[in-house]
Amino acid sequence: MIEIFVNDQSLHVNEGVLLIEALIQNRIDIPYFCYHEALGMDGNCRMCMVGIEGQKRPQIACDTIVKAGMRVHTTGERIEDVRRRILELELVNHPVDCPICDQAGECKLQDFYMDYGLYDSAVSKGEKVHGAKHVDLGANVMLDQERCVLCARCTRFTCNITKTHELGIIGRGDHARISTMPGRKLSNPYAMNVVDLCPVGALTSKDFRFAQRVWFLSSTPSVCHSCAKGCNIFIDHNAPKYQKERIYRFRPRRNDAVNGHFICDAGRLSYKSLNDHRLTCNNPDAMDRAKALIQAAHNIALLVDANLYCEQLDALVAFAQRIGAQLYCPNQCYYDEGFGDEWLRRPWRAANLAHINTLGITQSTPSEAHDLIISFNHPDLSSLTCKHKIAFSTHEGVEADVVLALRSWAEEAGTLINITA
Amino acid sequence: MRDARIVSRRFELPQSHTLEVARAHGAYTRLSEAFDKTPSELIEIIDQSGLRGKGGGGAGAGEKWKLMLPHDPRPKYLAVNCDESEPGTFKDRQIITKDPHLLIEGIILTCYAIGARAAYIYIRGEYRAHQQILQAAIDEAEAAGLLHVKGAPLLITVHRGAGAYICGEKSALLESMEGKRGHPRLKPKQKECEWYFGNPTLVNNVETIASVPFILYEGAAAYRSFGTEKSPGTLLFALSGHVQRPGVYEAEFGTSMMAYIEHFGGGIRKGKKLKAVIPGGASTAVLTAQEALEACLDYESMQSLYSALGTGGMIVMDEDTDMVLALKNLLEFYRHESCGQCTPCREGTGLADTLLSRVLEGHGNTGDIDKLLELASTMDGQTICVFAPAVAIVIRGFLLKFRSEFEARMHA
Repeated sequence: MIEIFVNDQSLHVNEGVLLIEALIQNRIDIPYFCYHEALGMDGNCRMCMVGIEGQKRPQIACDTIVKAGMRVHTTGERIEDVRRRILELELVNHPVDCPICDQAGECKLQDFYMDYGLYDSAVSKGEKVHGAKHVDLGANVMLDQERCVLCARCTRFTCNITKTHELGIIGRGDHARISTMPGRKLSNPYAMNVVDLCPVGALTSKDFRFAQRVWFLSSTPSVCHSCAKGCNIFIDHNAPKYQKERIYRFRPRRNDAVNGHFICDAGRLSYKSLNDHRLTCNNPDAMDRAKALIQAAHNIALLVDANLYCEQLDALVAFAQRIGAQLYCPNQCYYDEGFGDEWLRRPWRAANLAHINTLGITQSTPSEAHDLIISFNHPDLSSLTCKHKIAFSTHEGVEADVVLALRSWAEEAGTLINITA
Repeated sequence: MRDARIVSRRFELPQSHTLEVARAHGAYTRLSEAFDKTPSELIEIIDQSGLRGKGGGGAGAGEKWKLMLPHDPRPKYLAVNCDESEPGTFKDRQIITKDPHLLIEGIILTCYAIGARAAYIYIRGEYRAHQQILQAAIDEAEAAGLLHVKGAPLLITVHRGAGAYICGEKSALLESMEGKRGHPRLKPKQKECEWYFGNPTLVNNVETIASVPFILYEGAAAYRSFGTEKSPGTLLFALSGHVQRPGVYEAEFGTSMMAYIEHFGGGIRKGKKLKAVIPGGASTAVLTAQEALEACLDYESMQSLYSALGTGGMIVMDEDTDMVLALKNLLEFYRHESCGQCTPCREGTGLADTLLSRVLEGHGNTGDIDKLLELASTMDGQTICVFAPAVAIVIRGFLLKFRSEFEARMHA
């Protein structure tokens, strides 16, 4: 650890880190577009200007390595003036269409303008350089070239992280544009991360755009259930006036031990199934009929979904003992070999299989000797034959003697054990 | 004026680009003299000679060669910068078409000195015809068994650029050679060599390399007998614009600018008076006629006039020149050529051009001059490479020295 001074405040930071990292970690305001914790520095946006004592000119914090005793100023007239003027240049050819831009509310350009800008445009509308407005890049990603600040986060993501190289910058100067190769599309299983990476409204999600203003959304930290990896996410949800609570999107939540900054597109879009075709209420006599079936049964199989939380599974183990049922979690329906990859996607497409293993629950199909199957949201109930079935289910369309509504994972709190390998 | 032809010695000979003529006039005949010395001795001679890079920056060549890590196990490379795209500059073109064998000989010697066994000549895409002459010369030298460094084979490859001015910036040049976009790299924190695919690399201008044979054969003192203390040797100065005889003429550093223009260029075009000179390629501060009278063609003199020697490509403008239009011409160039990586340059070059268009269309006001000057300071020193600072110098030079011409165009 070394000591540096930022705005005369002493900070202890790790040796060899970039100044911008030290500032971000210590929650000191610093504007930037191109730097990103997962992508590193690129030095192109020139927004993170700071004053460093002993240096004639303002320096970019992302290309400065901290030195013991370094004295840094992130505020002050001179620094703010430089930032203001560079920001003004960012906006020279920007359409300033915040009212119709989906990024409004979570746009860095907008935030910095409110912090440092607040001036009139130097050029009139007719003098701006125009670009393509609605480019469908593929993979649910829409590009507005005019809103782009050319921070190259998206191109660096496809070059350095996915190594799929679909995106590049074409042209020079103020005609430089993000683009795919002619006739090619953005297509990789992680493509939609570029929407989160984009600090402005240039890349927006076709799935989310125009669905909801971001300031209406509440974010709840959660874990994706799309596979066994357990990527950390935010669930962005809202109940529009006179409507039920809906989930509008999943966003990655940083967890360096699991998913870093990213999630896969399949996981990201898996929120949809939590909104639609939900089973939300029970028949008034459902519980009585279920009780009667259980009391009448001689040999009960209790089927549990591998997406249930540990607490739920533990309770079901106790319940099974109480009613003398045998526990099953047939696992073949969760396995999708083609889904797995070297990065975040796992072929086991259930969130809590590790706990099923720990509890020693039988993972094969129940024997035909059972005269009642009680399923807790197991996806494969329909393929099983049995004299009687009771289904606790989050969704409609399950065939059983009695169907009872179950809250989805997004509506419950609980613990999961992921499979990281 | 003293004859100071070091690089252009064979330019006038008929068929000077052929191996036969070049050899008959001394090319490749003294290589063994240099091979008898050790590489570090050669680097020392270059350092002693005070040879300065002739691509515009004027950094000491010896200093650069010494950064080449002689004991590093990785392969080393020489990249010869022939991406000559600076407006007003066309000297490297003369070397590769008039005496390509001088360049090849310089490459052989340089590669020996720095331990490289492969050299790349990065040539601007537009120089297609010139590239063919250069390639033919390399092929001839190869066929004659000349491409070797003390017996070890030497590979010389001509790499054609795709027409981007910024690829003349050494790190953008290497990015481009690596197959990436020609974007300048962030500057290292300490002095070090350049890197081509992570291997130590020296980047030098064509004329710098073409000066190497003379220095290594004749010695540092012979080179220093030309020029001044801080600017030793000669330069292929280029003359364009309103002179009687535009062209490339070699002269020693320290020559008076006006004497040079008179002697080689035959003076300003008929009956006209001088108004301004851009001394070293477009990216140097314009000099007024008064300043041009005092100017000498060396680094010190230009620095004292708050301009720079640059590539030595002078653009001469007579009294009929419209300075507003002249600046517009340059700003269009910079707007077109900014690589677009850093915000101040990408947007600043365009905005400067837009503001000046407004002035030319008669919609300008005095605030636009101040806006342009403010823009110049935003572009100065806030970017990865020196492209934007050069534009700032250009804008300031024109606006501050010829302000009245701009004001005359303003509305209010």
